[in-house]
Amino acid sequence: MTDTGMILVLVLVVLVLIAWQLTYNASRLDRLHTRVEGALSALDAQLVRRAEATLELANSGELDPASSLLLASAASESLERQTDHALADDLLDGLSFAGREAVESDLSEALGVALTPSVVAELRDRDGVGAAALTRVVAAGRRVQLARRFHNNLALDARRVRRKRAVRWFRLAGHATMPQTVEFDDALPPTLES
Amino acid sequence: MRIGLVCPYSFDVPGGVQFHVRDLAEHFLRQGHVVSVLAPADEDTPLPDYVVSCGRSVPVRYNGSVARLNFGPMTSARVSRWLDEGSFDVVHVHEPLTPSISVLALRASTAPVVATFHTSNLRSRALQAAYPLIHPLIERILGRIAVSEDARRTLTSHIGGDAVVIPNGVDTGFFRTAEARREWQGADEAPTLAFVGRIEEPRKGLPVLAAAMPAILARHPRTRLFVAGPGDAETAVELLAPAVREATSFLGMVSDEDKAALLASVSAYVAPHTGGESFGIVLVEAMAAGAPVAASDLPAFLRVLGPGPAGVTFTNEDPADLARVLGDLLDDRVLREELSAFGAQRALDFDWSTVAEEIMAVYETVVDAARAVEAIEAATDPASGPGPGAGFAHFLRRRIGRGEA
Repeated sequence: MTDTGMILVLVLVVLVLIAWQLTYNASRLDRLHTRVEGALSALDAQLVRRAEATLELANSGELDPASSLLLASAASESLERQTDHALADDLLDGLSFAGREAVESDLSEALGVALTPSVVAELRDRDGVGAAALTRVVAAGRRVQLARRFHNNLALDARRVRRKRAVRWFRLAGHATMPQTVEFDDALPPTLES
Repeated sequence: MRIGLVCPYSFDVPGGVQFHVRDLAEHFLRQGHVVSVLAPADEDTPLPDYVVSCGRSVPVRYNGSVARLNFGPMTSARVSRWLDEGSFDVVHVHEPLTPSISVLALRASTAPVVATFHTSNLRSRALQAAYPLIHPLIERILGRIAVSEDARRTLTSHIGGDAVVIPNGVDTGFFRTAEARREWQGADEAPTLAFVGRIEEPRKGLPVLAAAMPAILARHPRTRLFVAGPGDAETAVELLAPAVREATSFLGMVSDEDKAALLASVSAYVAPHTGGESFGIVLVEAMAAGAPVAASDLPAFLRVLGPGPAGVTFTNEDPADLARVLGDLLDDRVLREELSAFGAQRALDFDWSTVAEEIMAVYETVVDAARAVEAIEAATDPASGPGPGAGFAHFLRRRIGRGEA
């Protein structure tokens, strides 16, 4: 084989390798973006459940009116923001949490203020609608914590891949928005945290 | 739910991860879930019927110790077959960073994957060498669990991101129902103490307790100490002061039943561990059996004891402080009763029923996320029209198909 032939073959091999590397990174990134979005909608679903359960608790009639009002208002804020910015609508731009952090932190805080140890003990003693709603609030609250952490792990993974040189130079991420971690206060009231 | 558990270590030898997987599998089976465990095992090892063997393991040196693992193309094919036949809703791999069936399952699974990190001593150099290999695998994990704060910190510093901490479960019922035995039982004027752990392992802290014993005996002369654990008792005896020697009985390696009975009998359980404990499982066992606990102030122990008075603590590696704290405890019957009652309550937080419930919450969360992923993929499927969102990636996907996804 002539020298030019050899060089041509080498160039071809290098090109194929580069192409393979690019498609690999592109599809890896694409899958990661999808996983981040999936995790985000799982988080969204748990937040809705938490707000609905809080609303039930507020309307159970087993809390004092002031606490009820506080919880109902925080929960309905959360639900309202959810319907305003239904995540599914943003599908084409990639999902984002659309600034709902403050509202969800407020709900966590309201739960913390309203559900003092004595209130929790009283609800559980009565063992009525309120206790059932409380159990659902706690279950959803725990899952919010899980879903938010799992989402953030994937978002960080995606951000790391997007920092790679090949990804930036060849714009492998396309127009997909940069995944962001979701940061808000998701602590359960101290008495309910096991 | 259809659950696939992957245990990287051979079922032929006992170990923490193996017990964890076994107990978790049996708990979910009792609750009516479908559970299959994939693990290495020799052909002639009798296995519970929920365990599928993926062949014989080989001893290899990894991460500073020898582990029995298995890997290779044959194993890889077996892992894929197990995944296919199981059609699991969730696949839960343990120690995903070992060269083992855990990584193989992590790579091959199409079901959502949960991973539990057990170790708290990862070698960072080995990990960094394998960085480009590890990250694409880590990205496949939808839910990360660490069994202790230490394991979580290790994960965070070596891999990044975070994990939820769900501790090892303990069968607290076994210890709660253990009956006290006369020969080990203490009285106010003749208290008894228990030490549990390997004798010559200095990190279990027997030397600290031995150094504290003269002072303990000075305050409570009729104290007796029972040492339960494997090791060379004769050498250990020689290191003790003569008075301490008389007060001490070496029980050798004891059965689980005897250990539970010992813990249920004594006036106090002493945990003088000096380090290396990422989770104080023996503390939970002692609390469940109703033994008042006196432990060194290791972070792992403080976390197990929790905010309430579930035990008393002394300064780590300080025999004088141990003697003082233990002396006060032996003087105070009311405090011992309080610790015993509170400890039994606290132990329930580490019972398998509590722990398995938390793990199930993780499964449900990742299954939700995986369903959402499917919905998104269906919505952006090339057949239903291209979306501008993911740009080039979608372009490629249209050209070259879905690849390995």
